[in-house]
Amino acid sequence: MIGGPADTEERLREALDALANGVHPAPHAYGRARQEWHRRERRRKLILAILITVVFVVADAIGLWALNRTQVDSPVIFNWPTSVIQHKPADGTGPP
Amino acid sequence: MTELSQPSARTRVTPAPGTEPGATVTDDREAALALLFDLHYTGLLRLAVLLGADDAENIVAEAYYQLYRRWQRLRGPEAALAYLRSVVCNLTRMRLRHLQVVRKHAGPATDPVAVASAESIAMVQDDQRVLIEALRRLPGRQREALVLRYWLGLRESEIATAMGISVGAVKSHTARGIATLTKVMEVRR
Repeated sequence: MIGGPADTEERLREALDALANGVHPAPHAYGRARQEWHRRERRRKLILAILITVVFVVADAIGLWALNRTQVDSPVIFNWPTSVIQHKPADGTGPP
Repeated sequence: MTELSQPSARTRVTPAPGTEPGATVTDDREAALALLFDLHYTGLLRLAVLLGADDAENIVAEAYYQLYRRWQRLRGPEAALAYLRSVVCNLTRMRLRHLQVVRKHAGPATDPVAVASAESIAMVQDDQRVLIEALRRLPGRQREALVLRYWLGLRESEIATAMGISVGAVKSHTARGIATLTKVMEVRR
């Protein structure tokens, strides 16, 4: 069928092939691309390391600040009254 | 486009005594990527150009970088080409969308895609040029489906995977695209 979809498909194939054949890669494309991957990978790892360090430092600083602010009679972590229960020996004898 | 051969990448190689296992995996990845680059770079570059990208080299380089980063999560070496193709399609679509937004805000200025298109289609014949121009004016999804179908010769299921849509949608985009192009060619006669 001339001029129908089948003809268009065939023409499209030819046109796409003709256009694609005019595209050529730049020389040394792999070397440049590889260099760029390694640079970006190094940068990503560096940023990750900096972020982890910052999080640890901030967490440590907050913890130290909180501990530093505490009073002796009002601790920040365990604030319930502690009681020491001493059992008296029943027979009146104690440990040596 | 050249077919992906089965590279020896990702095969679990027992490291030689005295070598670190991590180093073997990295070398393995480098070797496999070098092979993939050698086999498919030109084809993917052409795919990006046919899809209408103005900076096809950057897009394809970015696709290879994405593969480089996610190499350990790849199902197998046979999935690499499909993954690269999919990334190139997505990145080209994103780039074209970005350029549309830029163009909308910048007003009537020089269109980089149009300039790149004019350069790349200068070598084709007159009727082919009309067809390529009509292809460029199609909606992005239709253009992608047509390029993957008629240039790469992919099956509908493979096109669906590359575009991230259903097989029914691929059929619909292909049929609509061909109908529009047929109409353009008939008007030209």
